[in-house]
Formats: sequence, C-alpha cells, structure tokens
Amino acid sequence: MKPGLLLKTAFIGCLTLSSLALSGFAPPQDTPRRIDVSVKKFEYAPAEITLKKGEPVVLVLTTEDVSHGLKFKELGLDSKFDKGKPGELSFTPDKVGDFVGHCSVFCGSGHGKMTLTLHVTE
Amino acid sequence: MRRLALAWSLISLAGIAGCKVSPPGKVENGVVTWTKHTLTVGNKSERNPLPATNENIVAGREAFSHYCVACHGMDGQNTGVPFADSLSPPIPSLSSPEIQSYTDGQLKWVIDNGLEPSGMPASKGILSDDEIWSIVLFIRHLPPAGSLGDPPMYDK
Repeated sequence: MKPGLLLKTAFIGCLTLSSLALSGFAPPQDTPRRIDVSVKKFEYAPAEITLKKGEPVVLVLTTEDVSHGLKFKELGLDSKFDKGKPGELSFTPDKVGDFVGHCSVFCGSGHGKMTLTLHVTE
Repeated sequence: MRRLALAWSLISLAGIAGCKVSPPGKVENGVVTWTKHTLTVGNKSERNPLPATNENIVAGREAFSHYCVACHGMDGQNTGVPFADSLSPPIPSLSSPEIQSYTDGQLKWVIDNGLEPSGMPASKGILSDDEIWSIVLFIRHLPPAGSLGDPPMYDK
C-alpha cells in the first residue's frame, strides 16, 4: 500500500472513531413531543390533538379543579391525576385513526361527556 | 267563614294524605312491571359490546361504586341503603328476577334514560357509554349480598 493512501485511510478512520466517541455510540433517538393539556370540569383543552403515526409523544395533564383521568381504551392508556400533581401519558401511536379518550375518574354531572380526541395521521 | 276554614282544612288534609308514600299493592306492582318490560323500556335487542372479562366486570364495579351506590348499595342489592324500602316503589334488588329479566340493551336504556314511575334518574352524559355497558356487566355478575359493605356515605 502506498504511504499516501495509508495516511488518508488512517485520517478517515480517526475521524470516524472521533465522531463515534462524541456521539457516545448512542443510536439516534427522537425526543418525544410534549403537549400540555389543561383539564377541568368537564373539558380538556385542547379537546382535539393531531398526531403523526410513529411520532413519540407525551401528554402532560394538569387539572385546575378536582381529580380527573384520561383513558384511551383502544390504545391501552390510562392516567389519573390530582390537583398539583400532573399526570403523563407517554406513547408512540402505531395506528392511524381517531381515538376518543374519556375521563376515568368520576368527577360530577358532566363526567360522561368529558372527552379528548386524538387524530393520528400517516 | 268558619265553614270555609273547615272545608279548606279538610281539603288540605286530604291532599297531604294523598301524597303520603305507601308501598304499591300487588296489582299495581304487576301492571307496572309488565308495562315496563314489554312496552315502555326500549332497546331490547341491543347487545353489550363489552365481553364479560374480569377486567370489564371490575371496571363496572368501579363505575357503579362512584355513582349508583347511593341508592343501590355497593353490592347492587341495597345493602346499607337506609331508605331503600321507604321509597314508593321501593328500590329493587338488582339481583331480583324483576331486574335480571331485562335484556342487556334494556338495562342500558334504563341507566341512560331513567325510569318512571320510580326514583331512577337518567344518567346519559353523567356516565360514558363504556362505563354504562361495564355497569350492565357488573349487574349480571353481582357479588354476594353484603360482601362489599355499606356505601361510604352511610358508613357508621
């Protein structure tokens, strides 16, 4: 092997190793999209959220009055939370469609109508 | 003037006596039960979309325990409800043939719309459809009477 080519190869190898060392050999990761949801009797704000399939997301749920919950039966998700103690729902939607979540903590006369709809698109 | 006052008093007394709560007789009971089952309570053919899994029955018991227990007790059989027998008509045990002979769809209809003549309120919007169907499952799988104790609001 020619000395020039050997030098070039060594240089490229060093660069590659350095970049791997800097990245800590970690595979690339998506930072979850955080969405704040404000909750009170008998509504979620926002009441509709559009997500992308495969996009990691965290719904941060904060109640302004009594204890509430948010349950998506089809997605196997449920979070109950109290005033001053926000709840979180972390997930990555893996199917397209509309999913309606309901309050999972009985909170009064409008409890049954309290919904948040997720629109998951491609 | 005296006669007028006396007549007024008698009419008032009659009115008060007419409003007095008393248990319905056998004929009244029979006619009302037949009417409800065959004429007034709808949704006879709708099926419960929830399978009778342990998870769904437990969810039904939980939903029932937040709302229905004030009148029906934790067990659905009036345990610990102080006024259950004093209403007219009295609150039926949900394990009784009168209730169990409704179809699942009719039970959902009764919970959605309430029932007249009785104190059963309409609960559509207060509970979600999913919760109501899970309550129907719980009614079909009631625990032994008294096994869940008294409702918290009547706990001594």
